Amino acid sequence: MIEDCLKLTTYFGERHRTGRAFVADAQLELFGQREIATSVLLRGAEGFGLKHHLRTDRLLTLSEDLPVVSVAVDTRTKIEAVLEDLQAIEHRGLVTLERATLLRGDVRLRLPDELHEATKLTVYVGRQEQVYRVPAFAAVCDLLHRRGIAGATVLLGVDGTAHGQRTRARFFGRNADVPMMIIAVGSGDRIGRVLPELGGLLRRPLITLERIGVCKRNGELLERPRALPATDEHGMAMWQKLMVYTSERALHDGQPIHRGLVRRLRESGARGATVLRGIWGFQGDRVPHGDRLLQWGRHVPVVTIIIDAPDRIATSFEIVDELTAEHGVVTSELVPALTDEEPRGGLRLARYRVQPRYM
Amino acid sequence: MIAILWVGVVLLGGAGSVLRFLVDGAVSSRTGRSFPYGTLVVNLSGAVLLGLVTGMALSHDTALLAGTAAVGSYTTFSTWMFETQRLGEERQTRGLAANVGVSLVVGVLAAALGVSVGGHL
Repeated sequence: MIEDCLKLTTYFGERHRTGRAFVADAQLELFGQREIATSVLLRGAEGFGLKHHLRTDRLLTLSEDLPVVSVAVDTRTKIEAVLEDLQAIEHRGLVTLERATLLRGDVRLRLPDELHEATKLTVYVGRQEQVYRVPAFAAVCDLLHRRGIAGATVLLGVDGTAHGQRTRARFFGRNADVPMMIIAVGSGDRIGRVLPELGGLLRRPLITLERIGVCKRNGELLERPRALPATDEHGMAMWQKLMVYTSERALHDGQPIHRGLVRRLRESGARGATVLRGIWGFQGDRVPHGDRLLQWGRHVPVVTIIIDAPDRIATSFEIVDELTAEHGVVTSELVPALTDEEPRGGLRLARYRVQPRYM
Repeated sequence: MIAILWVGVVLLGGAGSVLRFLVDGAVSSRTGRSFPYGTLVVNLSGAVLLGLVTGMALSHDTALLAGTAAVGSYTTFSTWMFETQRLGEERQTRGLAANVGVSLVVGVLAAALGVSVGGHL
C-alpha cells in the first residue's frame, strides 16, 4: 500500500509537563489511542531551542531536561485529528508537519513515480525484530550498504506505535517491539531499486519516503540549500530543515563535529538545533558499525537537525559548511508548517512546489 | 543538641548541592563549550572555601556544618570523573588532560590559599 501521508514531528524537553503528566507520555498516549501507523519517541544528546538554553549529555547539570523528538506518520486525516488533540497539551514545543509517502504491508513495494530526486528513506523496525537470525536493523543497514546508498543511521526509540499499537520501552522486559528508525539518504533510483528487497526482508514493512536535497557529501559541496521565499503564494510561512549526518569519530577542531556545530549555531542566534545519537550505521564505503564494549572513543553516527526560517538557514548553512569540510552528509528539506506557540485553528501547510534539482 | 546538628547537616548538605547545580548550570551554559568549566569552578571555589573553614579553626560543630555538610556537598568528585570520561569518549585528549591536571594542581593551590587566608582571619 502506498499512501500520501503527513509526518508530524515535535521537538521538546524530556521534563516538560502538561498538567500532571510528562508531555512525552501524553503525546504517545494520544498516538496510541489514535492508532497512528508509526510513531517514535527519540531522546536527544544535545540541543537548544528558542530560549537558547543549552542542554547536553556531556555535562551532568546540563543533562537535566535533554531534548526529545517525537515523530508520527499516518494519513492526512489521522494526523490532522491528532493535531487537534495535541493542542490541549501545554508546552508541546516545536511542532512541524512535512509531506511523506508511507509504504506498508505489501511485500511487493514498487517505486513511486516521482522518486527521481535524492530521497530520504526511513524504515521502522522493532528493537528485537530479527531477519534470518540477525537483528533487523543490522540486516537493513547491510542491504543499504551493499546497494550503494550514501549512508544510514539507526536511531533507538524509547516509546512509540507500530501498525497502530503502542509499544513502550520498560526497564524490565524484552522491549522487542519498541520501534527503531533507520534513516538512509540516497539517490531516488537506488532507493527505488532497494525497496522491493526491503519488502522481501521484513515481515511487515513500514517505510516512509521523503524528497530531499543533498547539499554535501563527504565534505564536498554539491548544492546550497535552495533560497526559498519566507512565505508561499498564499502568505503561508515556510521553513527549512537541515540534517547533518556525522559520526562521533569525525572531529573538527579537536571535538566531534556535532558539538562544535551546536555551540556555533547557538552563538549565531539560530532558532534551535537538536542532536540525535544513533546506535548503528554507516557512511559511504565504511561497513556498518556501532560501538564496541571496550574501545577508545565512540564510533556511532549522529544526526544534527536544524530548523529555521529560510533566510536564517542560509546563515546556519555557512557554519555547517565550515564544520563539515571533511566529513558528513548534509541534506535540506522544505518544512511546510511549523508552530511553537498556541496554533490558532490548527496548522496549515504551505503549498510550494520545489523545482527538481534544488531544494 | 545532636538532633539539631544533624538536621543542620541535612539542610546545609541539601543547600550545598542546590548551589552547585545553580553555579554549574550558570557557568556551563554561559561558556557553552565542551570543557566542563562549571564543575571546575565549583570544585576550585569549594577547595578555597574548605581551606578557609579549616584555616579559621572553628568549633567542632561549626566545622562539621560548614565543612563536611555545606562544602562537602557543594563540590563533586564523581561529576569531575564522569565529565572527564565523557571528554575521553569524544577523543578530546587535550581537554581530558587539562581537566585532570588543572583540577589537581590549581585545586591544591586553592585549598592552600584558603588555609593561609583563614589562618589570618
